[in-house]
Amino acid sequence: MQARFGLAITLLMVLSSLMVPLLSPYSATGLIGAPLESPGSEYWFGTDNLGRDVFTRTFAAGRVTISLAVVGVLVPLVVGTLLGAMIGTTRSKVVAGFWAALIDGINAFPLIVLIIAIVAVLGPGVTGILFAILMTNWARYARIARARALIVNKAEYIQALQLLGYSRPRIIFRHVVPNTYTETRAYALSDFVIIVITVAGLSFLGLGVRPPDPEWGAMMSEGRLFLRQAWWMIAFPGLALSLTATGVALLVDSRTGGKPIRVGQSEPTVAI
Amino acid sequence: MLVAFSVMVVSFSVLRLTPGDPALAILGDSATLADIEALREKLGLNGSAFTQFIDYAMPLFRGDFGSSIVTDQPVLDLVGASLPVTLQLITLTMVMALTIAVLLAVPAAKYRFGVFGLFFRIGTSMSLSVPVFFSGQLLILLAAIRWDLLPAGGYQAGFPGNIQYLLLPALTACGPLVPILVRVLQSSVIDTMGQAFVETAQVRGLAGPRLVWRYLLRPSLAPTIALSSYIVGSLFGTAVVLELVYNLPGIGTRLLAAVFSRDYPVVQGIVLVMGILVVLVNLVADLLSGWLDPRARAVS
Repeated sequence: MQARFGLAITLLMVLSSLMVPLLSPYSATGLIGAPLESPGSEYWFGTDNLGRDVFTRTFAAGRVTISLAVVGVLVPLVVGTLLGAMIGTTRSKVVAGFWAALIDGINAFPLIVLIIAIVAVLGPGVTGILFAILMTNWARYARIARARALIVNKAEYIQALQLLGYSRPRIIFRHVVPNTYTETRAYALSDFVIIVITVAGLSFLGLGVRPPDPEWGAMMSEGRLFLRQAWWMIAFPGLALSLTATGVALLVDSRTGGKPIRVGQSEPTVAI
Repeated sequence: MLVAFSVMVVSFSVLRLTPGDPALAILGDSATLADIEALREKLGLNGSAFTQFIDYAMPLFRGDFGSSIVTDQPVLDLVGASLPVTLQLITLTMVMALTIAVLLAVPAAKYRFGVFGLFFRIGTSMSLSVPVFFSGQLLILLAAIRWDLLPAGGYQAGFPGNIQYLLLPALTACGPLVPILVRVLQSSVIDTMGQAFVETAQVRGLAGPRLVWRYLLRPSLAPTIALSSYIVGSLFGTAVVLELVYNLPGIGTRLLAAVFSRDYPVVQGIVLVMGILVVLVNLVADLLSGWLDPRARAVS
């Protein structure tokens, strides 16, 4: 039930983000009407303070936010899974200890705080937030992968492989990584909910995508100044973001069977 | 202790490992080499990585977190002025969230099947997915602008008068927290319900609040406390966003201002303070769960 519902919402948001900007008669950045026009038959979601069509902008923004979040999940997923597998199986205590300390150090911070600190050095903008997300988010995957790799590494079949003289890369890639990957992959879906909100949140703070480019958080940060006059400037991008995240969250819920997040074993799903 | 050290290393590295020269970024392209060199010296960016780290770490132990390069104020003064607002916001949020969660958990455990359970699960997924910078503004629109119940933002120091400014932000922060807390507590309560000592207590004729608190909730709290300490940590991140939405003069607002003025010592100092606070909170949570559940104490 939840799975289908969640998948339907997610697909709907992705497809309409792809299609609406192509089919809409208005451009996402063009000044096409009077400013702050209420939603109606002409402009379905109204117009913003500069007279741009909020409907087109909302879905054009979806492309940016969703694709940034996908990259912000997939790259750390790959890097974290591999790194975690290596750290969990290494025989050098120094290497293992160094990486474990680094992972714990990064994970001790609230994700967004560390990202903000890195963006402070890199400067605001799309590359800045993307780089900052990639630099911090891998540690969450690496922690999960490492925990799994430590268990797998003690299993008898791995010891058997070592005795048979298989090389370390072969053991890691063919036998450890598939195990760690099932764990990190399960986390990736709930991580998407966090990252999509984080991307929009950073733009909302003025650190990510800058106006006039459409992005959900950036649109809401513009709308904040017109909250009293034009609720639609905030409501529609906010709804689109919430719906996308809800769709994926429902998928996560159907996978875990509504069971709570296991504290300490995987990351609790709290976004900002 | 080791984590505290790692936290220090990470906040030290942020400025160094990130590509780009902070001194050049502050001064811009028109700066002279001598200016850049002087600022690098001031930021502690000269010398080998090791000596830099010693120069960075040693004053920390004396309580010297450096000072702002914009206003020359010590970082700790800036933190001291803004941190209480954030701490009060976080405390109020946790009190509200835990109260609601404890009240909801036992019913949620009893009626977990059927329509109520399904709605609860869908509701949980939804409230997890609504970002606070959206729900916060909806709340402002309704509670502050439409109904005029509470101020839409701003702050005045002084307990208890400041509560009215913190109530809406705390309520906003509760949105995604309550469902997670209820879920975790609910599942521990379900586990506890199956335990023999609960049955024994019921057979002995215990019922009502005493049974619920002493035999159902108290032994079920440990996972919730572990989760709470994680949540308190993540609330420092949420606070950055909430303080912007509600215009609160907390540490998040201070951090953002420092980011926009490229005041690196302040950014670094605040990030370190937040990291240390998170480590402390985790420590307190460990002690607290031992006190609440004698079984955990016996193990450790």
